[in-house]
Amino acid sequence: MICRRLAALAVILLPAIASAQTVKLALTGPFTGGSAPMGGSFRDGAKIAVAEINAAGGIQVGPVKMKIEPIERDDEAKNERGALIAQELASMSDLAGVIGSVNTGVVMAGDKHFQEKGITKIICPAAGSKSMTQWLDPKVPDLSIFRFAAHDGIQSAMVVEEAINRKFKKVMVFFDSTNYGVSGRDDMLDQIKKQGNKLEIVAQEKFNIGDKDMTAQLLKGKSAGAEAVLIWGIGPELAAVSNGMAKIGMKVPLIGGWTLSMSNYIDNAGKNGNGTLMPQTFIEEPITPKAKAFIDAYHKAYSVARIASPVSAAQGYDAVYIFAAAVKQAGTTDSRKIKLALEDLKEPVPGVITTWVKPYAKWDPNNVESHEAFRREQVVMGMVKDGAVVFGNDADRQRLKKAAAGTKGR
Amino acid sequence: MTAAVLAQVVVSGALMGLVYALVAYGFQLTYATSKSINFGQGELVMVSAFVSLSLVNAGLPYGLVLPAGMLFGALLGLFVERAGVRLALEQKSEGWILMTIILGLFFLSAAENVWGRDDRPFPTPISSDPIHLLGVDITPLEISVAVGVFAVMGLVELFKRVTLLGKAFEAVSADRDAAELMGISARRAIMLSYGLSGMVAALAGILVSPITTVGPTMSSTLILKAFSVAVVAGLDSGFGVVVVGILLGALEAVTSLTVGSGWREAPGLVLLILALAVRPTGVFGKATIRKV
Repeated sequence: MICRRLAALAVILLPAIASAQTVKLALTGPFTGGSAPMGGSFRDGAKIAVAEINAAGGIQVGPVKMKIEPIERDDEAKNERGALIAQELASMSDLAGVIGSVNTGVVMAGDKHFQEKGITKIICPAAGSKSMTQWLDPKVPDLSIFRFAAHDGIQSAMVVEEAINRKFKKVMVFFDSTNYGVSGRDDMLDQIKKQGNKLEIVAQEKFNIGDKDMTAQLLKGKSAGAEAVLIWGIGPELAAVSNGMAKIGMKVPLIGGWTLSMSNYIDNAGKNGNGTLMPQTFIEEPITPKAKAFIDAYHKAYSVARIASPVSAAQGYDAVYIFAAAVKQAGTTDSRKIKLALEDLKEPVPGVITTWVKPYAKWDPNNVESHEAFRREQVVMGMVKDGAVVFGNDADRQRLKKAAAGTKGR
Repeated sequence: MTAAVLAQVVVSGALMGLVYALVAYGFQLTYATSKSINFGQGELVMVSAFVSLSLVNAGLPYGLVLPAGMLFGALLGLFVERAGVRLALEQKSEGWILMTIILGLFFLSAAENVWGRDDRPFPTPISSDPIHLLGVDITPLEISVAVGVFAVMGLVELFKRVTLLGKAFEAVSADRDAAELMGISARRAIMLSYGLSGMVAALAGILVSPITTVGPTMSSTLILKAFSVAVVAGLDSGFGVVVVGILLGALEAVTSLTVGSGWREAPGLVLLILALAVRPTGVFGKATIRKV
């Protein structure tokens, strides 16, 4: 009898003991559907980091080494799924943290649950400004949400800067009618004003998700003499724009948000996509040893010749390392203590994008950058060339090479 | 707004309109014989496009993919008739409405599971480089759509008028009971109409895919427009759909250009409401007296 009771007790206790030995890290994002190239690449990049850390024995948490146990959840890019998943994860008592979300809408629907329970969440790679600015409120003195992505503010500034640098005077502003597209347009208009009104907007047009024929809108831009199209939208429609431009013989560059590097843009636009410019945090070119190792590991692990979304993959990879550094510094899997460590990371974290020195600071409800890791200097301009994204400006390539050589010397 | 811009928009829109017309023609074919419509017609377009894409990727030349895809569409049309429509019609019930919707949903889920939910490019040997024609830019790909639409509709109409089987088809369309009394099998004629309708849907899918990409939701907007075209033109008018299709496509593009891109969908709905209010049998439809 006692024996049986002991056995029952063991059955109840054993998993608890076993789970105490791991760092539970949730990876969320759309792994199916139109946003899957980004969500899937993010997850796969993050899992390479997890595998590397685990292969080395795990994270040093206080006296013991703990392995990372990834928990994957597919939010299908649906807001309501995102909210459900957030609720489920927030109710786990031993969750160390969450990394993920591609879609701004999903972030808006789910993140409040993490904030309520004080669970550390790193948004990656969703870039919409609102995901973080929603917390700019004196009533939020403390925040457990961080972002690891080049937010739209940086991106739109770069898009406008690029158009000015390329000596364009007349531009067409084109955007999709979703939250993402409209807020991207607002950011771009804002930046045009901020950067001295050097661009004249000769046409401002929109399109809907699922639209295939963009001829009418593009013709307005063409007949008004637009020298570039500044665009904010998502893969398939962006491709329809590119193909529409080729059809009416509108040979001007498309410059826009990082979604122009999605594989469903590049594949569907084909040769018409050549010359398209967009901000990128990572280019799939082995210019540094670290980048080469990551790209090779990714290609090998998933048997692909090209990463569907290199930006998402690299960000996922670096985010896991930053999170692991915070766990190590906190010396516990308590999500609140990990948050405090993230806000004050003592050690630099070498990543594939850059070496991260103090990426975050204590949350300041007046300054969203306190929980944003990316600054202008970590972002480069990418360009589509024959089905892949390459450096748009050679100066960026040289700068990164130099920086990598510099950190090695240190 | 110059005339050249307007002409370009009208031509581009009209060519898209031809695809609406082709799908609408598929509605008409089955309605003529059986007074039933396949509400999953859009999914036939989509599944056939996916199957054709797989054939292309398997290395089959385009010249063979076209007939193979159309054959597949015809078989799928026959399957819909057998599984979803025949029993309901025999029982004189309206069950086919729900059954065809359910079959459509089934095809949609199946496609998502087999081919995934991503939009994919459809490679074709036909060039998409524009040629300048009378001040308008037009791609050979768009011309192929127009040629395909007119060719298949012309052939089907010719078949209905010239061949014996086609005349049987017409007889059932005109008066089912009288045709059966003459020894024509209405069931066969209905099967034929569903097969043809599936074939037309498959052709629409293959023609439009290189322009719009292939994805599980590729026909969700297309099918609504096609339905508007079919209703506005009248569900029993052969070439009416072509006229209305071209008109609707061009009207949409012009609205998008002049009123604003947000109003693009409006003309189709306005036309539909107007047609239902003023001429419920369709602009080109024949008002028939229903004997009670």
